[in-house]
Parts: sequence; structure tokens; C-alpha cells
Amino acid sequence: MRNLIAAATAALALSVTALPAIAKDLIVAVAKPDRLYVIDAKARKVQNDCKLDFNLIPGVIVMSPDNKIAYILGNRWEDVFGVDLSTCETVFSAYQSEGDVRRKSIASLAVSKDGKEVYTVRNPVRLHADRYEIMEPEVAVYETAAGLDAEPVRTFPAPRRMTVMSAGEDGMIYAAGHEIYAIDPKTGEISIKIKNASWDRKTYSPPDVLAFWPIGTQANEFLLLYSAAKFTDESMSEIADFVWGYQSVDLATGKSEMQDFASLEVIMFSAVRDPNDKSKLYGVYTQLSKHDVETKELIKRVDLPHTYYCINISSDGTEIYVGGTNDDIGVYDSETLERIGEIYLPSGGDMAASTMQVINTGS
Amino acid sequence: MRHLKPLNQKADRVVTAVETDKMDEVRAMQSVVVGCTATLDPGWEVDPFGGVAALCQPMEADLYGCSDPCWWPAQVPDTINSYPDWGADADNASKDWRSLGTVFPSDSET
Repeated sequence: MRNLIAAATAALALSVTALPAIAKDLIVAVAKPDRLYVIDAKARKVQNDCKLDFNLIPGVIVMSPDNKIAYILGNRWEDVFGVDLSTCETVFSAYQSEGDVRRKSIASLAVSKDGKEVYTVRNPVRLHADRYEIMEPEVAVYETAAGLDAEPVRTFPAPRRMTVMSAGEDGMIYAAGHEIYAIDPKTGEISIKIKNASWDRKTYSPPDVLAFWPIGTQANEFLLLYSAAKFTDESMSEIADFVWGYQSVDLATGKSEMQDFASLEVIMFSAVRDPNDKSKLYGVYTQLSKHDVETKELIKRVDLPHTYYCINISSDGTEIYVGGTNDDIGVYDSETLERIGEIYLPSGGDMAASTMQVINTGS
Repeated sequence: MRHLKPLNQKADRVVTAVETDKMDEVRAMQSVVVGCTATLDPGWEVDPFGGVAALCQPMEADLYGCSDPCWWPAQVPDTINSYPDWGADADNASKDWRSLGTVFPSDSET
């Protein structure tokens, strides 16, 4: 009888695991002091609570294409770790500093669309007894299959002042720095994808771009906001307006675009577009704003209980999630911008400047 | 300006500019983005609109967002290199801010 029960249990377990996973959105976030949370977005419940075995600052998160592994920039901007969401196990690590050379990555982390490679831009400094020697920044390419203590299989010179980046389906890395660069991780060839500091808009000041959160995965784009002063003419003597705009690289096609969409009335730290209607852009800071970037209309804006750095959106575009800063994630209806839920992270620690990703399972 | 006195050197220079008719040379910081690197901007004294309402609210929401990326290194100890354990026992800045102390360079650094 015992064997029968065991066999029946095994068969049931097999049938459960063999069932296709129910499609749902999961929020992936980290919180101080040492937690990675996987949250059922619609249920507003923590599904997995992972204790990390490394320092999570800054907590920049990039997901593997199959959404099974969260790659996290940690150890105070130095090292990359891959955490299996189902087991909480650290399955990948890359320690970038060695000897007297310290290498930091300022949010520059991406995973190739085939999941085989992890990319960073790292900034080396040699720590001499009497001085720091600033060395050339470099693109580092790691193979995810290397597992723990991975070493780069390729490195290439990189421009200075690089921050967030994303991998495209064309195999290129799109990275934010003075310009939006396209980097070929096979050859190291670098070109300018979108002119930024060198843009040739004669009646504009140089743009100001805050590039900290690699969050465009729902709409499959590398999207950054910019703000700039717009002048009445090329003499730049009289300001006509301060404007918000966005720059985007479509990660499916590699096509890029840039356009203004609003006057600068409030600050926004991060933004996402609706994956099902890219005319709708949502931006967050101390307010949550919904814009139509085609008609350049502000559809709605609401005040938030406190500042949030990082925004994301459900795969069906119906819910907006705001996180970062404190220990709570606010949930907003994308139509009404009404606060319809909130999720408090169990550790009670701040998310600070970390990334909040949304992934969809079972699709 | 009779009833206003400059409180710091920058304000003093503005007064001097007014007196010498050189206000055209004075540029308000909020209209000019000046940063030595993408993440090492000097701390803003005002928000982009010339006030403080558009700074992060409340400031505790922004505290680790400033210390972890070394964003305001003069105002908030940086946890990247110099003071890595500054926030070690204060995971929630809004509740634990009393645990966050002032830091001073050690003797070997002065």
C-alpha cells in the first residue's frame, strides 16, 4: 500500500510538474540587507524569498532570456552574480577586481538574447601606494556556462562614462554613455547608435540623461529619458521650453528613435512604454505620469506617497509597478493611475537604487 | 539687496556681480548640467525649478540612492569605496536614520 501511495504521489507530482506553467507576471526585486524577492504581481504576494550570499549594492538586475536566472551587479558595483530564481542558488559569479586593480561597473550589465553571454563595462583603477592610476575602461564578455568564478573570454576597449546597457536580438549591445553606443561583443567594434552629447539639434542644449535602470524588457526596447532646454532659435539666447524626450533602440529590430514628448513640468527618473501600445509612456519619481508620445499629450499625473526611482509594467499593460527607494512596491491601474495595491518587502530593507524587473512565466 | 546678506561665497559673488553690473555672467546651476562623471555630480543645492519641492520626498527615500552610487559624496558617505559599512545596521532609512552617523577621515587619510 505504501508503495502504491508513493507511486500515486510520484505520478501526481509528475503530472503537476509536467503541466504547462500558468502564465503570470512576477516582479523580481532586491532589498537590503541581503534579499532577492520573486513576487506574484497580481496576487501581491512574495513567492520566493532568497537570501543572497553576496553584498547586493547596487542591485542592478538583468534577467536571463528564459527568466530563470537573475544576474545581479553586486559587491558594491564590482562583481556579477547569477541567482537561480527557483532554488535561490548562486549559479554564476564573476569577480572583476584582482590584485591591485579594482574594477567597478556603473550599472553596465547585460545578458545576450541567447543567454550564453554576460556583458559588463568595467572601469579599472590600479591602486598604487601613493596614487590611483586610472586605466582604460573595457567591455568584458563572460560565458554564462562558466558558472562560478568566471573569467572574461574577451575584453575590448570601451568609452568612458558608460552606464546601463541592453543586448539586442541582432547580437549587439546597446549602451548608454556620452552617446548611445552599439557595441559588437564579438569584435569589440563600437559605433554611435544615437547621438546624445554630440547631437546636432541646433536649438537645444545638450541633453541630460539619467541612465540607471535597465527596465525596458516588457516592450523589448532600450529606452532612456532625456531632458533639455529648447531655445527659440540657434543663437540660444532665449529659452522656449524645457522638454522631456525619449531615446529608444528596438531590441528586436535594432531600429532607433528619439523625440520630445512633453514639457519638463515634473522630474522623472525612469520610464517604460506599454508593450502592447508604445504610444503610452509611464514615468515615475514623486509623481506617476502617463504620456501619449504620439500626440504629445499628458494623459494623467498623480502624486505618489513618496519618491520612487524605478517603474515597470505588467505584460498586458494593465498595471504599473513603482519601486526602488523604500521597502514598498506600489501598484497602479494603468488606465486611471489609481493606487490599487501595494507590496511590502518582508525584510523591511530599502530597495534603494536597485532594479525592479517584471517577467512573465508560462507563455 | 539692503536687507539681504550673503551667507556663503557663492552668494557673495552674486552680490559682487550685481554691484559691478555683471549679472549676465551669472548662470543659475539649475539650467546647466555640470557633472564630472555620470554618477559623480556635485550635490545640487536646488531642484531643476529653483526650489526644493522636486527633490526626492522624503529625503530618506533618497538616502541610499545617494550613498550607494556615491551620488552626493560630500553630503552622504559613499558606500562604494570609502565607507562600505556605513548603513550596515540601518536597512530602512526611513525608520533607521538615527543609526546613520557622521563620518570623518581617519588620521591616515588627513
